[in-house]
Amino acid sequence: MRIIYQLILLWLSLNLILYLFREKRFSYQLSAALVLILFLLRLLLIK
Amino acid sequence: MKLTSEKQMNKFHLGISLGLLLLVGLICFLTGRSFLSLHQEEPIFPSAGLTRQFRLSHYLPNLSHTPGDTRVYLFEGQEKGGNILILGGTHPNEPAGFIATVVLIENLKVKKGRIFLIPQANLSGFTHNDPFEANPQRFFLPARQGIRWFRYGSRLTNPVHQWPDPTTYTNPAGQKLAGTESRNLNRAYPGQPKGSLTEKVAWAIIQLIKSENIHLAIDLHEAAPEYPVINAMVFHERAAELAAMALMDLQMEGFDFRLEASPPNLRGLSHREWGDNTSALAVLLETANASHGRLKGKPSVALIVEGRDNNYVRAAKLGRLFVPYDERGIPLSRRVARHLAAVKTLASYLGELFPHQKVEFSDYPSPQELLQQGFQPFLHSPRQER
Ligand SMILES: [Zn+2]
Repeated sequence: MRIIYQLILLWLSLNLILYLFREKRFSYQLSAALVLILFLLRLLLIK
Repeated sequence: MKLTSEKQMNKFHLGISLGLLLLVGLICFLTGRSFLSLHQEEPIFPSAGLTRQFRLSHYLPNLSHTPGDTRVYLFEGQEKGGNILILGGTHPNEPAGFIATVVLIENLKVKKGRIFLIPQANLSGFTHNDPFEANPQRFFLPARQGIRWFRYGSRLTNPVHQWPDPTTYTNPAGQKLAGTESRNLNRAYPGQPKGSLTEKVAWAIIQLIKSENIHLAIDLHEAAPEYPVINAMVFHERAAELAAMALMDLQMEGFDFRLEASPPNLRGLSHREWGDNTSALAVLLETANASHGRLKGKPSVALIVEGRDNNYVRAAKLGRLFVPYDERGIPLSRRVARHLAAVKTLASYLGELFPHQKVEFSDYPSPQELLQQGFQPFLHSPRQER
């Protein structure tokens, strides 16, 4: 169960990183970065 | 010309993206470290009088290697006598009980009988701290040399360890409660050996009381100054005489307690279920903690330790509090002194009422010493071997 959850998180995190690099508007990049923080914390700190 | 500027633009964007990614990494690192630090157990340095230290899973093996497997300290005298259990940290946002047991563990010497101490009864509750309350994660107290840190946790078991909450919770004693109360150790008694983490902890504590033949069990708490059951000594009916005798002594010493009989239809609480399910005399003690009240201003380490808050001064003037409260506040040292005074008095009357259950102990700070000198002389220096 946990590994599925983590794979989903990993997939979404990678997409966010990709979006962060593709997007040219700074405000959009910043939004992506803020959301990415939550996803990475979930991914790495899940107990 | 146009090409180079486009290249420059691309470089610029790449820089921005990398910068943002670096920022994300940094924030994750800092917040992650702060989050994980709450899972770190604070060191406790037992006095030379310690007989044995073990974990609560001793009484319920399936509790071992779980976040509820808390430390138990046993102090045993040379002479046979009574057995006392003292619990702190049932509610990790009520530090006076936790610190009172730590002060005992670090100074105690037992001559007669046995004393069991559990400083962090709900250990899981110490690993989170209600972020919406904006409470600090730790507070600090002066030690003989240096400063000691202690966690300020949540009233409830960490949802990471016990999830999800039911809509309504029927506790092992049959009382229906709000779902979140399923993580409240002081609603989970007598517990269940295969229940939730909180129920297992409760069960193990009951097993300790039974198998160690505990005569007197004391649960140390705190409450908000606006809460009616404050500065209270809540007693199970079998402990009524003991509590009444102790109360008179404590009042002569200048500690104002109010006696509250444990309501028979309020199930799942320590004073009720310990008393009903074991032969121990059960008592719960409350002191006034401004840092966990609803009327407080800004939460801070100082508020936890010094207990001073202007909102509470105003509330007291308006007659909204159940304890006297002025600009001096109610510092942690005074709250711990109250707990220690009550423990001492209850223990001494246990021996008077039942001479074969006498417990003699010494070397821990008297309430007056703690009031005058604070914690410094009574807490072991950090990072120093015993
Ligand atoms: Zn409490």
